[in-house]
Amino acid sequence: MMPVKALTTAVAALCLIGAVAPAASAGDLIVTAAKPDRLYVIDAATRSVRSQFKVADAGSGLSTIVVAPNGRIAYALVGKMERIVGIDLHSGKTVFRAELSQSGERVKDFFGFTLTPDGRELIAYELPVLLKPSEYVVEEPRFAVFRTSAGLNARPVRSFPAPRRVHVLLMRPSGRSFYAIGFDVYEYDVRTGALLGTRGIIHWELPGHSQPDLLAFWPVTEPTGVFTSPISSEAKTAGGTEPRTGLMLLDLASGALKFQDFESAATVIFSSVLAPDRKTAFGAYTTLSRIDLERGTLAQRVDLDHTFYSINIATDGHELYLGGAMCDVAFYDPATLAKRSVLQLPGCADQALASLRVVHER
Amino acid sequence: MSELKPTNQKAELLLKAAAEGHVPEVLAMESVAGCATTFDPGWEVDMFGGTASLCQPMEADLYGCSDPCWWPAQVPDTMNTYPDWDAGKPSAQGDWRELDAVFPKK
Repeated sequence: MMPVKALTTAVAALCLIGAVAPAASAGDLIVTAAKPDRLYVIDAATRSVRSQFKVADAGSGLSTIVVAPNGRIAYALVGKMERIVGIDLHSGKTVFRAELSQSGERVKDFFGFTLTPDGRELIAYELPVLLKPSEYVVEEPRFAVFRTSAGLNARPVRSFPAPRRVHVLLMRPSGRSFYAIGFDVYEYDVRTGALLGTRGIIHWELPGHSQPDLLAFWPVTEPTGVFTSPISSEAKTAGGTEPRTGLMLLDLASGALKFQDFESAATVIFSSVLAPDRKTAFGAYTTLSRIDLERGTLAQRVDLDHTFYSINIATDGHELYLGGAMCDVAFYDPATLAKRSVLQLPGCADQALASLRVVHER
Repeated sequence: MSELKPTNQKAELLLKAAAEGHVPEVLAMESVAGCATTFDPGWEVDMFGGTASLCQPMEADLYGCSDPCWWPAQVPDTMNTYPDWDAGKPSAQGDWRELDAVFPKK
């Protein structure tokens, strides 16, 4: 939950294309993006696009989006995963830019970056490769720390070793450490880069279950401060094994990590979100699922019009937001999973892997 | 590992490494040079061996796969090899006729 006072005023003309500005109402704003270079702010109350910005040098599109704690700047991974930019959500102006690759060294950030709670530092997950005349030399992955005040030519102020196969970075509310979701859940000290702890994903030990795996690209922790992800495993049965689906829940404040098995894996779930009551979670892909976390069961499932990669929920839990993949954002009733409305983005360009983030306007 | 059977020499080496306790050295390294080296099924068949859990329609998944170089054998990789494959075609559902097959340069 992030306050966005800046967005209550009319948007500036610079970089703004065809803004729609309904009367501001206190509520949720949805931030998403579409190919090749558009960043959208959607008023969830009126289900309309409040503003859209053209992001310079976006390459083929925006993927991970992290909104600053003050709600004024959206940071986005762009440029074939080699660049992170910060876009002022009031003016549309690019206020931060970090080129991860440098001459002779190509650096990809496979989705993961996060911000400190004061918004002053940005930590990116870097996969560097030296491009030599006759060979590529794969270097060790690392975390690179940038100052967000560095402007349009930001360079890392420090870096430290990182594990492989990380896709999501999540800052803890204290600002002293962050989580990296990869083969396991790693915790690192923001200042020193020290590895503070490693807890199971592949080391998850549930009797009768195999080593699990997950696909976690969407760093959604709003509105509860809990990151969730579907997780898959094989469970032993009398006749062999059965694929199972569960939910991994990581509370960023308390550090509590929970795995909740809830169904036989007959349906794929790509992304998930925890409701404010913390008793219910929702998952999306080609179906929309409601998961009863108290009973550890699937409560309801409905078909969607098409595949949606990402899901989020209203700050007060009264509405589900679906996005990603194609060009629409859908609004669903969490109680019945009935479709309430669909907003097609201008030009109907694909959101593809763009995050669907919710900020709360106060 | 007991649930998997090697089907080629590389996979046999992986099994050998597992038996000798060297699994961390041979874990799949995604994004080694910018590309996913995922072993997950998902483009032609879903994780259950059918097609019901593939993305629907398949166009919904095109850019989600081409942008991060996911399944680069099935979908042109716009991250490295074919960076302009989707240029001027922001809507896979609307522009699919213009998304051509690609061929490696000789």
